[in-house]
Amino acid sequence: MSIAIEPGAGAPAATAPQAGAIKVTMILSGAVFTLMMVFGLIMRAAQGQWIELDPALFYQILTAHGAGMVGTAALSGAAILWYFSGRHVVLTAGIFWAFLCLFLLGVVLILGAIFIGGFGGAWTFLFPLPALSGGAWEAGAAAAFMLGYVAIGVGFLLYYLELGRQIHARYGSLVRALGWNLILGREDDNPPPPTIVAAAAVTIFNSIGIILGAAVLIASLVHLLVPGFEVNALLAKNLIYFFGHVFINASIYMAVTAVYEILPEYTGRPWKSNRVFALAWNAVLIFVMAVYWHHLLQDVVMPPWMLVVGQLVSYFSGIPLIAVTAFSTFLYVRGSKMTWDLTSSLLVLSVAGWSVGSIPASIDGMISVNKVMHNTMWVPGHFHTYLLLGEVAMAFGFMAWLVRGKTISEMGTLDRAAFGTYLAGAAGFVTVFLFSGAASIPRRWAVHYEEWLTHDRIGTVFSVLVVLATLVFVVRFVTRLGRNED
Amino acid sequence: MQPVVLLISLILMALLSTIFLLAARASRGPGPGPKANAKRTGLIWALTILGVIVSVGSLRSWPHALASTSDALEVNVSGGQWWWDIDTTEIPLGKPVNFNVTTEDVTHGMGIYDRDLTLLTQVQAIPGYTTQITYTFTEPGSYQVLCMEFCGVAHHDMVNEFEVVVVEE
Ligand code: HEM
Ligand SMILES: [Cu+2]
Ligand SMILES: [Cu+2]
Repeated sequence: MSIAIEPGAGAPAATAPQAGAIKVTMILSGAVFTLMMVFGLIMRAAQGQWIELDPALFYQILTAHGAGMVGTAALSGAAILWYFSGRHVVLTAGIFWAFLCLFLLGVVLILGAIFIGGFGGAWTFLFPLPALSGGAWEAGAAAAFMLGYVAIGVGFLLYYLELGRQIHARYGSLVRALGWNLILGREDDNPPPPTIVAAAAVTIFNSIGIILGAAVLIASLVHLLVPGFEVNALLAKNLIYFFGHVFINASIYMAVTAVYEILPEYTGRPWKSNRVFALAWNAVLIFVMAVYWHHLLQDVVMPPWMLVVGQLVSYFSGIPLIAVTAFSTFLYVRGSKMTWDLTSSLLVLSVAGWSVGSIPASIDGMISVNKVMHNTMWVPGHFHTYLLLGEVAMAFGFMAWLVRGKTISEMGTLDRAAFGTYLAGAAGFVTVFLFSGAASIPRRWAVHYEEWLTHDRIGTVFSVLVVLATLVFVVRFVTRLGRNED
Repeated sequence: MQPVVLLISLILMALLSTIFLLAARASRGPGPGPKANAKRTGLIWALTILGVIVSVGSLRSWPHALASTSDALEVNVSGGQWWWDIDTTEIPLGKPVNFNVTTEDVTHGMGIYDRDLTLLTQVQAIPGYTTQITYTFTEPGSYQVLCMEFCGVAHHDMVNEFEVVVVEE
C-alpha cells in the first residue's frame, strides 16, 4: 500500500524552507557522525586492548569525539529546526550560511588544536586543566580549542537572534510563541504551532547557555594568556556544566521538531499545540536550566539546596517527556494505519530512545546513587541512549524523509536490515555501558584493567554494528540526494 | 547498591521499551478511545506522587552527612597530576573515617574501591576547596583510591592504596 503525499505540502511558497542549505548541512552531519563513531569504535577497541593506542592519543580522540558529537548533534538539530521553522516564519538564508561558515571555522580550529596542537583536555575543558596539561599540550593549542568554541557559539547566537526576531515579528512576542494564550485559556486566532513553541523555548534557553559558556571561555582564555588572572574553579565548573548541559539538550529539543512535522504525514493527524503541550514546553524551559546541578552532586561544597534541586529536577524533567511527548506519540500512532518506512520507524524509535534514556539518567540524578555511579561508565551509558537512539535517530529519520520522494511505501530489505542493525547495535552498546557502570568501571580511562576487558570487547562488537548501519543510512542519503536532483 | 540500581533501571527501561513496541503494533488496531486524556492526567499524577515519595525517602537523611569530628578518624588526602597522597596508611575497621580531600592543581575525583574493584564512595577534589566525606569500612584488607575526574594524560595512572586493619582495644 502506498499513499501519495507532497512533502512540505501546505507551506506557502513564500516561506519555502531553504532546502539546499539544509541538505548540505545534513551531508556534513552524516559524514561527521560517521567519522566520530569510528573514533568511538577506536576508543572502545583500545579499552578492550584489541588495538594499541597511546594514552595521549586516546584522550585526544576522546576530546574530538566529545566535541565533534555534541557539535554535530547541535548542527543537525539546528538544521532541522531551521527547516521546519521556515514553514511558519520567513528566515534569512544568509544568516544560516553565516552560521554554517562560523561552525566550520570552529571545526577547523578544534581539529587543529587537537591533532596538531595535541590538546586532549576533553570537550568539557574543565578549568584549569586546559592551562595545566602537565606537558601534553601548549597554551596555544588550548586557546585554539576554546576559540573554536567561541566561533561556533557566535554562529549559534546569530542563528537564534534571527529565529527569535522572526518569531517575534510573526507572533508578536516570544511569550505568545511559548503558548501562554493557550495556557491562560485566552482566545488566540493564530496559535503557535508545536515547532514554533519549541523554537521559542530553545531560542531562550540556548542563548542563555551560550552566553554563560562564552563568559567562562573568555575567562579561561584570559587565564591562559595572563597566568596571574585567577578564576574560581567551582564557579567555572558551574558555568561549564550549565552551558554543556543546556547545549546538548537543546540539540534534542531542536531535532524533535522533525517528529512534530513529519509524523503527521504518516498518521494523518496533525501534531497540535494545546494547553498541556505549552505547559510542558514552559516546564522544559525552566527544568533544562535548573537541572545542571546533577553534574555537581559530588562537589560537596556546593550549597545543599542546589544539589537537592539537581536531584528533584532530574526526576521531574522526565514527566513532560514521558507524559507529553511519548504519550502523545502513542496517541498519534494508535489506530493510524501508518506505513512503517525508514523515516517513520526512525522517528518513533527516536522518541522511544530519548524516553528510555531518561530513566538511567534520573536514577543517577539521585545523590545517594550518584555517589557510586558518578563518572563511571553509567554516565556514557545513559547519554549515548538518548543521543544515539534519540537525537541521531531523529537526524537520520529527517535525512531519510528529505530523500523519500512523494510515495510512502513499506521498508525494503536493505532499509529493514540497516534499521534492525542500528537498533540492535545501539541498544547492545549502551546496555554494556550500563553494566560497566554498575561494575564501577570509571569513565574516561584510556587504559583498562584486566577485569574490565570483557565489557569493552562486547561493547566494541556492538559498536561495529552501529557504524555499519550508519554507513548505510548516510550513503543511502547521499546517493538518493543525487538522484532527486537529476 | 550497584546491582540493585542496575536491576531497577533495566526493568523500567525494558517496560517502557515494551510499551513503545506495543504502541507501534497498535497502529494497526483501533484509534485511541475518549478516555485518552484522562489517562494522561492519571499518568502525570502517578509520576508526580511516585517522585515525591522517592525524593523524600532518598533525601530524608542527607547523603553527604559527615560523622562528628569527636568520634571519627580524620584522614587527609591530597591529589595532584598524577598522584594521591594519603596521610594515614592503616585505617581502623568499623570506625567512621572523615576524608578531607584537596588538590594541588586541577580538579580530580577521589574514588575509594575495595579489593573486588567495587566503588564504595567518592568525592570531587576542587582547586581552592577542601571537600569532606565520611565512610565506615566493614571489611579489613587493602583498598584503592582511583581518580574519578579527568585530569590529563595520566588520569588512569592516578592510583594509590591504603589498608583497613582490625584494631584491638
Ligand atoms: C558507534 C557509535 C559510538 C561509539 C562506539 C562511541 C564510543 C564512545 C566512547 C568509547 C566514549 C568514551 C567512554 C569513556 O568515558 O571511557 C564515548 C564518549 C562520548 N560520546 Fe560516544 N560513541 C558513539 C556515538 C556517540 C554519539 C552518536 C554521540 C552524540 C551524538 C556521542 C557522544 C559522546 C560524548 C559527548 C562522550 C563524552 C566524551 C567525554 O567523556 O569527554 N557518542 N563514546
Ligand atoms: Cu546533564
Ligand atoms: Cu584524574
